[in-house]
Amino acid sequence: MSIGDNTAGPLLAGRGLVKAHGRTEALRGASVDLRAGEILAVTGASGSGKSTLVHCLSGIVRPDAGSVTYAGLRLEELPEKRLSELRRTDFGVVFQFGQLIPELTVLDNVALPLMLAGTDRGRARSAAGEWLERFGVRGQAELRPGEMSGGQAQRAALARALVTGPKVVFADEPTGALDSLASEQVMTALVHTAREAGTAVLLITHDAQVAAYADREVQLRDGAVAPLGVTA
Amino acid sequence: MAFMSTRHILLGLLASGPSHGYDLKRRHDERFPQARPLAYGQVYTTLQRLVRDGLAEVEGTDSDGGPERTTYRATDGGAAELSRWAGEIAPPAPFVTNEIFAKVVVSILSGGDPAAYLRAQRTAHMERMRELTTVKAAKGADLATVLSADFALNHLDADLRWMTTTAARLTTLTAEVDTA
Amino acid sequence: MTTTLHSDLRLAWQLTRGSDRREWWRITLTATGAALATGLMLAAVSLATLRGRYQVSVGAGLLNQPGTRAGVIVSLLLLLVPVLGFLGQCARIGAVHRDRRLAVLRLAGATPWQVRRIAALETGLACLLGSAVATVFSVLLLLRLWDHPTAPAWTGLALIAVGVPGLGAAAGALALRRVVTSPLGWVRRSGPRTGRGPGLLFVAGMLLLTVAALLAVAATSSGAPYRPGPPPPLMVLGAVMAVGAGAIWLSGAAARLTGRVIAARARSASTLIAAERLRDDPWAAARTHAAVLLVTVVGTGFVGVRQMLLEVLDSPRHLSENQSFYTTGLDLTAVALALALAITLSGLAVGTAESLATRRRGLAAQAAAGVPRTVLGRALLLETALPLAPAVLLSGAGGATIGFGYALFADGGGWSLPWTSLLVPPAVYAACLLAAATALPLLRRTIRPAELRYT
Repeated sequence: MSIGDNTAGPLLAGRGLVKAHGRTEALRGASVDLRAGEILAVTGASGSGKSTLVHCLSGIVRPDAGSVTYAGLRLEELPEKRLSELRRTDFGVVFQFGQLIPELTVLDNVALPLMLAGTDRGRARSAAGEWLERFGVRGQAELRPGEMSGGQAQRAALARALVTGPKVVFADEPTGALDSLASEQVMTALVHTAREAGTAVLLITHDAQVAAYADREVQLRDGAVAPLGVTA
Repeated sequence: MAFMSTRHILLGLLASGPSHGYDLKRRHDERFPQARPLAYGQVYTTLQRLVRDGLAEVEGTDSDGGPERTTYRATDGGAAELSRWAGEIAPPAPFVTNEIFAKVVVSILSGGDPAAYLRAQRTAHMERMRELTTVKAAKGADLATVLSADFALNHLDADLRWMTTTAARLTTLTAEVDTA
Repeated sequence: MTTTLHSDLRLAWQLTRGSDRREWWRITLTATGAALATGLMLAAVSLATLRGRYQVSVGAGLLNQPGTRAGVIVSLLLLLVPVLGFLGQCARIGAVHRDRRLAVLRLAGATPWQVRRIAALETGLACLLGSAVATVFSVLLLLRLWDHPTAPAWTGLALIAVGVPGLGAAAGALALRRVVTSPLGWVRRSGPRTGRGPGLLFVAGMLLLTVAALLAVAATSSGAPYRPGPPPPLMVLGAVMAVGAGAIWLSGAAARLTGRVIAARARSASTLIAAERLRDDPWAAARTHAAVLLVTVVGTGFVGVRQMLLEVLDSPRHLSENQSFYTTGLDLTAVALALALAITLSGLAVGTAESLATRRRGLAAQAAAGVPRTVLGRALLLETALPLAPAVLLSGAGGATIGFGYALFADGGGWSLPWTSLLVPPAVYAACLLAAATALPLLRRTIRPAELRYT
């Protein structure tokens, strides 16, 4: 595959990923493909290696064995600085909580990735405002993250993840701390926006109702992809 | 699905005003979008039984140039019966009868492969849940659609959780038998 | 009562033993601070019990005369200011975690008094350890220098050896008052926040110190055979106390103002993060920063006065038969100042490290989202650099005024101006940045992906 050629194969591919935390093996040869614009759910029991898989695929941690290819780039060959830059420009991340800086206003939080990319603060803030609007939390722009409800904070976090126009959004239990209605709002917002922008989403969840927002599901069991059942 | 009273649903639809059979079927399918569509013959026989029991009566007939149609309306007795039924609690799962459950039990008894069945069933369930979620999350989905999709999703989710736990139980059980 | 105390003690011990490495850091650092405080106070008290002229084998004769002895006592007590700042910073280590743990105890049915006692024991035991070590060594030293220490000296020693842990325990209980009143609020609360203005602890400490110093000075000076004008140590003490109280307020206010002004105008991500953090919690570092300001004022003033004094001593106008008496005094003061600066910088480094440790999950999430580590590191340094800049400038100006004033009016004036003193504020500022920078390697360890796990 040549560099930048992402029409033929998957946009992001993990092959035979192995990763141990101390003596426990979180991943034991997991392989996952993510196609451009696709929403993929990764499900599995707690401790099945879901989070570690996302950390490997997004270049947050380096796997002990196996490879991750993104748009023709081998992530394990990139230096840490380049990986960090990639996460800033091509990837967006949303966690269960903690990704917004508590001391910054919601608007500045969403503007931050743009400022890091060199956009001046005024323009970054107005772009951030538009994204907050899209996620229905424009009215909370000047609040601190701690002053919003959990659902609003997660929608702001999605705005922050999508503001740079990433190719892939990694969402690790984005609704883990929310009730079902707030979770529905967050997921609907994520799915609609990702589809409009053509962003691929790797969605980690233990909740089948959340996984049902995806186009496809991959189930992890003991650090590897479990075979899906065959429907007759 | 547990006992579902077509009588009472038709009575409920008549509560908003007199209506004829075809109209009732159309409105039923609209209000219960994810339910099995009502057959016209079933609407007709149910209406006749309601009249027989004094819960509904014939309002009149008109033809509007087409085939002749009989219009029905609910009686006072019908309204009372409707409100009694609507307020009555549904018995919470008095009998545990479910096809998935039965298949797993039979499969264990007959030495089949319940795990493989559960995996396949899970895939089918997820497929259906994705369909329902797409319907629910579509822009401009009306309330009835959202409510019915939600209802089905939650039940499928409950099935799934039972299947996941059962699959895990079976694994532990097999491990115990193997080590024994 | 004894049984409850016993069980509380056991619970406090179990909580400490089962806690993570950070808690041990807190204990070690708190014990070190308590040891320093005890040592300084013991030295001050031993000197304060001396009356009239003595022949003391150390200090080049500085300790022989009541007048100069009073100066030494005041300097010793002044050294307690940075030590208190350091202890205040140590108390913050793991504060969020500890508050939550004690709130959980409260929810589990502990009475407010039980929780207070357990907290008091946790801090008190650490202080007792430090104070015991310091007392043992001080007594050994004292017995070598002084053949027969007087009864008041022994009484003073005992009081301080017991008093420091007692005060530590009281401070530990006091710091918990909000946890005790609303356990639920603190269990849920996740963010660290020092809240209101200058720490009550610090103000209380300062008051205590002032009273002690006044008593000591009054007692020692009473036996003085001659009295050249107003007792200079008393004047210096008063001035420093006033500056100190102002310094706490100044550093907090400076942090808040810088935060507010810069947050609105910030162009870069790191400046924005640092400024907003300052605006959100301006008092977080006020205790250490106040100590920095005090050191700057006194240091700048001292360097100025020292230059003048040396010039006077070297000049033919001053026929001094005992130069070493003066130079030893100056050198000792310089050592004391250097010690104060070192303690203050340790407090600053501890504070910065603690601020990182408290926010480790958030920082890990930032790094995962692609915020470069350099930006996070720069924000961390700016958090120290921004509020200190105006405050150090102002306190430097204050210190320089003392030095220049002395040059203009002392000994009839006519001496060159003490320009060297102007080097002190930038040097202190640079040292502070270096101290804060020692936490940077910790940032690398802090932003591990393991912090992103929730279960």
